[in-house]
Amino acid sequence: MKSLRVLWLWLAPWVLAVASGYQDKPEPERGPGPDLPLPQSAEQYPYYGNTPEEMLPFRGVEPYHRFWLTRLPFRGPGRDYPDPPGLKSLKVGLLSPAAYGPEGARGARTRRGVLLAFEEENAQRQPGQLPFELVQRQDSPQWGSAANIVVEFKDNDVLGYLGTVDGDATHVALRVSLKIETYIINTSDPDPSLTETQIPWLTRIFPDDRQQGWRLAYLIIKQRGCKRVAILRESSRPGRMGVLHFANYIRRLGAPAVAHLLYAAGDHHLDSQLHAIQAADPDAVVFYGQPEDIGYAVATFRRAGLRAQFFGFDRLKEEGFVQAAGPAAEGTTITYFFDPDRPDKPWVEFVRRFVKRWGEKPDVYAAYGYDGAKLMMEAINHAGPNRFRVRDYLATLDEWDGVTGHMIFDARWDNIAPISTAEYKQGKWHFEPFPELKRPARPRGPTQASASGVSAR
Amino acid sequence: MQWSVIQWRSRSARWLTLGCLLIAGPVPGAGAARELDQGVPFPLLEGFENFGEKDGIPGHKVHSVLKTREGQLWIGTFDGLCVRQADGKFRRYGPEEGLSHKLVLCLAEDTNTGDLWIGTARGLNRFSGGKFTTYTQTDSGLPNNVVYGVDVVGETVWAATAAGAGALNLRTGAWKIYDQNNTLMHEPWCYAITKSPEFVYIGVWGGGILEHNPKTGSFKEYRDPDGDFQFVLAADAGPVGDITSWVYWEEGVLWQATYFGMSRYDGARWRTWVEGKSPLLSNFVNFVTAHHRVAWIGTDRGVSVTDATNWVNYAVSEKGEGTVEIHQPHQPVVRQRLATTLANGFVLGIWVDDQEVWFATSNGLTRGRYAPQDKAARVAEAQP
Repeated sequence: MKSLRVLWLWLAPWVLAVASGYQDKPEPERGPGPDLPLPQSAEQYPYYGNTPEEMLPFRGVEPYHRFWLTRLPFRGPGRDYPDPPGLKSLKVGLLSPAAYGPEGARGARTRRGVLLAFEEENAQRQPGQLPFELVQRQDSPQWGSAANIVVEFKDNDVLGYLGTVDGDATHVALRVSLKIETYIINTSDPDPSLTETQIPWLTRIFPDDRQQGWRLAYLIIKQRGCKRVAILRESSRPGRMGVLHFANYIRRLGAPAVAHLLYAAGDHHLDSQLHAIQAADPDAVVFYGQPEDIGYAVATFRRAGLRAQFFGFDRLKEEGFVQAAGPAAEGTTITYFFDPDRPDKPWVEFVRRFVKRWGEKPDVYAAYGYDGAKLMMEAINHAGPNRFRVRDYLATLDEWDGVTGHMIFDARWDNIAPISTAEYKQGKWHFEPFPELKRPARPRGPTQASASGVSAR
Repeated sequence: MQWSVIQWRSRSARWLTLGCLLIAGPVPGAGAARELDQGVPFPLLEGFENFGEKDGIPGHKVHSVLKTREGQLWIGTFDGLCVRQADGKFRRYGPEEGLSHKLVLCLAEDTNTGDLWIGTARGLNRFSGGKFTTYTQTDSGLPNNVVYGVDVVGETVWAATAAGAGALNLRTGAWKIYDQNNTLMHEPWCYAITKSPEFVYIGVWGGGILEHNPKTGSFKEYRDPDGDFQFVLAADAGPVGDITSWVYWEEGVLWQATYFGMSRYDGARWRTWVEGKSPLLSNFVNFVTAHHRVAWIGTDRGVSVTDATNWVNYAVSEKGEGTVEIHQPHQPVVRQRLATTLANGFVLGIWVDDQEVWFATSNGLTRGRYAPQDKAARVAEAQP
């Protein structure tokens, strides 16, 4: 025993010194929202989808190497290539999901926004200016189909293309884009991993599930004070990727999911999922899947007496959710990108023109489709019919204003303009105020996003 | 003054460098690389010769290059397949001759038959007896028409496609598809194929490297150990990233190219390299091949050559000049201009043997000429 006491006396200062190094640092003072700046260099872009530091992986451990703090340049040639001879139009591709697939309706709405943008632009062309031409192709819900379509785009000599909703199809398209060196503007894919590939041939203007994930995690854990979160999501790649980061964020906030259940798309036999979630006694349930399926699940869970708060992603704003959920939709809170009833002139005017053209109000897919098409045509107008200069224009943008609002692009070319939340109360979605980015949107000083040093600033 | 010594770490290094300066003298370019070869255990290049449209190569971009066992040089370009003729000019084959698509992405030789296998943006092709036979996803078992990588493993042709890996048994004509349904792939996005005596390795976009044992039918995957794309948590812990852009095996060493740096696996230990923390020219690695355990790495800013200890980088400066940069342990890094340079720093494919090195670049084809030396086998002897 004596020898043990001696050993302890000898070790104690060391143990205490080491332990003090691992003690939690005092919490920094918090602002009103979750947009605390990360302790990173002013020469770098906002990191990791603008995620607050407390939700970052391996918090407190500086990794050997970080990516995505600066933009990857395209160092290949092509900017000085002569314009293609005999051009009769300026072609842009549109890759849409299959009309009969799960994303068909969203793709159709995207297409309406894109077509409106093309019609407006072509109506304004001056004599001597080539018209824009949309080369439209429909994907099929089969792995790799998008790759073949992008090759068709190349055969048609498009200068850039837009698309698509499916994460897997856009991934596949991006890989071909790298080979054919043709830029994509994505207007509708929320898959966080899309831009993680570091391919400098894509800009995404649609807020992704990483941003929605941390915003939702912040709302549920920090603002609502929930401690027991259950997840029910579609058994699919979109479902897996959709909640991947959310599940990590709540774990990092000290509340790992108490249940994580899957269901097959369209399956209305949810008894086993319900029982498992009830057994976990959650105070919050987060849903990810098609709005109609989630609406059915929400109604089923409420009917069974589950009293937890319900949360979801942007798609629950679609009418299919409320129609399927009925009264059970009450109190559901989702992440959303902008208030569709906002009164600013660009949005109001766009809605008016869209209604006039299509006889219905635009949703986010139509609106981002419109913005994506406008941005692509702006780049071609600026750069001329050269795919490499079009790339430079788009890949060097730090900010851009569309009808959907002010966009801020990070080092992965993701739009990280802060998003907000909406709660369904008394038959209507109520939108929380939209926060501002509380850090510089762009690095201080010159940044090189292209080998030619072209900057759109 | 052609020498630029950027680090003076030790007195001996200074004397060594000054000695080299005296030996090399002020003569730039050819031959100078020879004097830089102080202890680099693999051959250096001393010059480059470029080929482009004037030589019959259609367009700018050359995706792949292959020298057959009989010495014929083939290239896959943005606008067709080409072979170098006796007069040095390139003859083009396109869809007019039966090629399934003009955009050629990859090449492989069946060394048993001499047949050439050509992966394009729309189908796989076999060139045999002067004729093309095409395989597409609608008339064969090819999983997808976009063929990023191809290799011949015994009597099987493996194709890495946008929707899985396809294996064509040349004896029976039967296809087998490997994708998310029967392997460990989450997504069937395959980029490259390589082989060892025991295994077939598939480079998977987002899935790291898949090791397949054809005898047992089993699969094993090598994945980024930290599970996050946005950083490398620790060096040398496993594959540097999961987005494999190319993979190559030779002499017991597996090399992985990614857009996040490079990895090397010798069956026991992983090594990783990222730009800025190693001599690797760029994290954006398009291609890797190996010869005598020396990797030739095609990046977007030139070529890095390494035996995992020593590094030699060939790049094109902003002024368009060729540079060579030598990194050796405990020695100052040395840079030198070369009289000739790569056709372009964006390197998409490499072919290397004991006689020469060929580079497929985004702006033409380049032949690299070795400086005279006699140590091609030293690396193999030195490495475990």
